Amino acid sequence: MEEVCCGLKVGQDVPDFSIETYEPSKGDFGEFSLAAQKAGKKWTILFFYPADFTFV
Amino acid sequence: MGAEVVTVSTDTKFVHLAWQREEKMLENVKYPMGSDPTGNLSRLFGVYDEETGLALRGTFIISPEGKLLNSEVNFYNLGRNIDELMRKFKANLHLAKHANEGCPAKWKDEGDKTLTPSAKLVGRVYEALK
Repeated sequence: MEEVCCGLKVGQDVPDFSIETYEPSKGDFGEFSLAAQKAGKKWTILFFYPADFTFV
Repeated sequence: MGAEVVTVSTDTKFVHLAWQREEKMLENVKYPMGSDPTGNLSRLFGVYDEETGLALRGTFIISPEGKLLNSEVNFYNLGRNIDELMRKFKANLHLAKHANEGCPAKWKDEGDKTLTPSAKLVGRVYEALK
């Protein structure tokens, strides 16, 4: 597979990634992993925004 | 609704916690708040602004197979419409089960008319949607 650097296009496979999270439902930190989503056959919606404490 | 929503900014998880605890608008937030302090995930999706170190307002729908199916990016000063996001998500669910169909622009929800491309449909979209 060709290596994806930046600016994924619609139709491309998203490379596996994981990021640290804060989980308000648990009041605790966690991790989100695309590989886990794929394993669980779940859809993902990523919602980027500029910054906390601003006015989304 | 059958999808995991993850919000992402370049703030740390500690700031996410502090913001969610402080801001009463966020007291009912349930979704995980992802942290991208390096900007690497934001760069991968093409929303990282090198000038500011912040991510633009990008929304991305990823299938269970890991394929990117929708992408929408707004500049800082324009908010997103959740109804349109839901419409796209529902359309994706429908199309995942009916791969030969297409959801037209006015498709809103399950039960609305879809289009199945064929020779018969060429030049007859108006009639098909009537």
